[in-house]
Amino acid sequence: MSKNYYLQQSNEVELFKTASSMNLPILIKGPTGCGKTRFIETMGEELGLDVYTVVCHDDLSAADLVGRHLIDEKGTFWQDGPLTKAVRNGGICYLDEIIEARKDTTVVLHSLADYRRTLPIDRTGEVIEAHPNFMLVVSYNPGYQNILKGMKPSTKQRFISLSFDYPKATLEKEIIIKESNVDEKTAEKLVNIAGEIRQLSDSDIQESVSTRLLIYAAKLITKGFNPYEACMHSIVESLSDEDDVLEVLEKLISLHFKKSCDVSKLCS
Amino acid sequence: MDEKVGKLWAKYLTKKTSSIYEEEQVFFSERSRALKIFYHLLGGDKAKSINITDKRFIKTSRTFFEKISGTGKTFFLSWQDEKGIYLPASLAYFPSKKYNEMHYYWLIAMLSKININSNNIIEENMKTISFLVEKYSGFREFYDYAQEFMIKNSLEFLNHQYLSPLWIYPALSNSNKLLDFDDEDEPLREKEKQDETETLKMKKKAEQINDKKETDGLLLFLPESLMSLLEQVNVDRQENDTFDEDALYNAEILDEITLGQKDANLSSRLKMDLDISAETLEEYPLGKGHFIDEWDYKKECYLKNYVCIKPFIWINVEPIKLPQRHVKMMKKIQHELDLMELDRIKRDNLPYGDEINIDSWIDYKSHKNCSNHSQRFFETYERKTRDISTLILADVSLSTEAGITQEIRVIDMIKDALMVFSESLYRLQDCFAIYTFSSIKNTKVNFHIIKNFKEKYTDLARGRINTIKPGYYTRMGAGIRESAKILDKQQSKNKLLLILSDGKPNDVDKYDGRYGIEDTKKAIEEVKKKGIIPFCITIDMDAKEYLPYLFGQNAYAVIRDPKKLPKVLPEIYMNLTKGN
Repeated sequence: MSKNYYLQQSNEVELFKTASSMNLPILIKGPTGCGKTRFIETMGEELGLDVYTVVCHDDLSAADLVGRHLIDEKGTFWQDGPLTKAVRNGGICYLDEIIEARKDTTVVLHSLADYRRTLPIDRTGEVIEAHPNFMLVVSYNPGYQNILKGMKPSTKQRFISLSFDYPKATLEKEIIIKESNVDEKTAEKLVNIAGEIRQLSDSDIQESVSTRLLIYAAKLITKGFNPYEACMHSIVESLSDEDDVLEVLEKLISLHFKKSCDVSKLCS
Repeated sequence: MDEKVGKLWAKYLTKKTSSIYEEEQVFFSERSRALKIFYHLLGGDKAKSINITDKRFIKTSRTFFEKISGTGKTFFLSWQDEKGIYLPASLAYFPSKKYNEMHYYWLIAMLSKININSNNIIEENMKTISFLVEKYSGFREFYDYAQEFMIKNSLEFLNHQYLSPLWIYPALSNSNKLLDFDDEDEPLREKEKQDETETLKMKKKAEQINDKKETDGLLLFLPESLMSLLEQVNVDRQENDTFDEDALYNAEILDEITLGQKDANLSSRLKMDLDISAETLEEYPLGKGHFIDEWDYKKECYLKNYVCIKPFIWINVEPIKLPQRHVKMMKKIQHELDLMELDRIKRDNLPYGDEINIDSWIDYKSHKNCSNHSQRFFETYERKTRDISTLILADVSLSTEAGITQEIRVIDMIKDALMVFSESLYRLQDCFAIYTFSSIKNTKVNFHIIKNFKEKYTDLARGRINTIKPGYYTRMGAGIRESAKILDKQQSKNKLLLILSDGKPNDVDKYDGRYGIEDTKKAIEEVKKKGIIPFCITIDMDAKEYLPYLFGQNAYAVIRDPKKLPKVLPEIYMNLTKGN
């Protein structure tokens, strides 16, 4: 029984396990907070593999992945990076938001992601052959439009691809309840709110509300927070800084959850 | 006196019969964007516009007071048709702003959920109301309050149950004629305009020639102090006026021509100072034009040298400063640009530099034989060189003359957008050029230079943006191919072709519908093959149907509100090119 809670949406578990058994690398696409990382952690647990997570960013260099020389009192020594560790010992190396990394950094993955399954390290002159249990998983959010940052086709075409989206309403409700112990009615309202906000994502707001944010709201509610306030802090304020949008989102929340003070008394 | 008494009497009666709390009035205009977002949020059709409704006549039983005051015949009702939703311009039924505002949200919610095609509008209203009060506790509270308030305070509402302000009413069967006259007029007006503009344009050209002569004559009356200059003006002017087939203006080196070269003579600058530019403004052809290919999807082959591209430049343009109305927005954008400027790029493993890179140094030290290892352990931070060339191709077809509001046309927004955008690119020090195009069949694709890559962005370029006028049709493939040719010559690593359009590719000949789309798609494929990244920004609401096909996902943006174009364009660009 795994420690993590993950609810399968489609055939992703089966696909992941098959890819793992065949030593194929996986690319996961999906919006922020839809459960990509959780899925991989769960898979790691189920397959008994360590997960080495690297969150990619602009300045991530190849040395951050592969490793570097360090100094101690005896002199210099070589320190493996997360990728090298996974390659040597077996495990899942998960590169989150790989699109954020510089293109020259991701090139080190090429020889690992194809039939060669080797990692050459220039600085030590080593060529490491990947452990049979080594698995490469990368993820990115295709919603970001940046023409200068897209994934190189030569990198992309080395992976089996898997698309993630926010879970269906019933599944999402189940996830929220399981994660936060919130009552069913509140969970349902949260899912309804999310469903409505998500209708705005391609027009009025940039990023939509994630399952993660809904869980945050639910957790605050179970801790005794007023649901209206919980939603304001964990959903509304996180989604936009625009006054008009904030006003509408606030209105939506107030339609589902009553504000802490009685508005009707204030208004009359 | 009689009149005065009458007026007071009418005012008193009207007030008595209306149940309006004027001081607590909430206006649609102040809430329009929020209401629009709310409509989308509840799943309302995003293609529908949100409008203010006119008064509608409804036959109801009127009270005595209403009869003598002449009120109670027409009402501001909320309704919708296939094109849009219609709401009262203001609401003031309740004695509190909060509830009047809530009333708007209620109506929006009703409009987003109600079935427009239902025959039984009463049943449909009841169904929608019960859905809303059941799903949203906030609406239940409002509805209960509103019902109670109306029963308590104005029995008229009960008498005319059909006229509850909380309800949505059917669109009039003849709504197109009566209430929707604005929309109805639009296509007619546009059609008229189209013909008008075409003939006008022709007339204008002829007039321009006459004008010129007049102006020449007029100049003779200028003060004596200017006479010596005037002679020069006239001489140079004549030279400029003669059709130049000089190789200098050959279209093949179109990209090389800078206004600096053209404008180098003092005369034209002086002339601009002397004359009102609008009268002397003219299109200057840069050579006779040249031919390019077009893709015929039916024949599955290129029609060789089929389209004639005619490059033009506006001359005698009045240089202008950045208009005051953009200054505030520009300041805001500048702030974002400054943040981008902060990005620096680290270069390490250098034989010299600002600091020692500890990693490289350790690497160096860890080598057994240090002397054989090159001493490249310095690092330096450089400002990011963005290394990008952007060509903006604006579609200035006749459709851009359509009005967004009575005062603002699409073309004005395109001009404003180009102005703000150019300013941003200039401050970013990115290399950019601007061209506009419009076409009349394959025989004439007008291709106007606003600013080429070599020219500096100056007041003159701003002036040229300001002179942009709507042209004819949209032979997009040709415009794209011509732009790609220019971009291809640029040396930078990244090349972006930004297409600014308000509609589908079309022309009066076969270049309409599928033919135009297929040719444009082909042109975009060619662009991509050249390593240029195309990106389309459009204000065409139907664009989602064909843009993914033309450009692919993530290579286009639809701007729903053309008024936002000036603000959104730099944002899109920054998003596209951030983190290069």
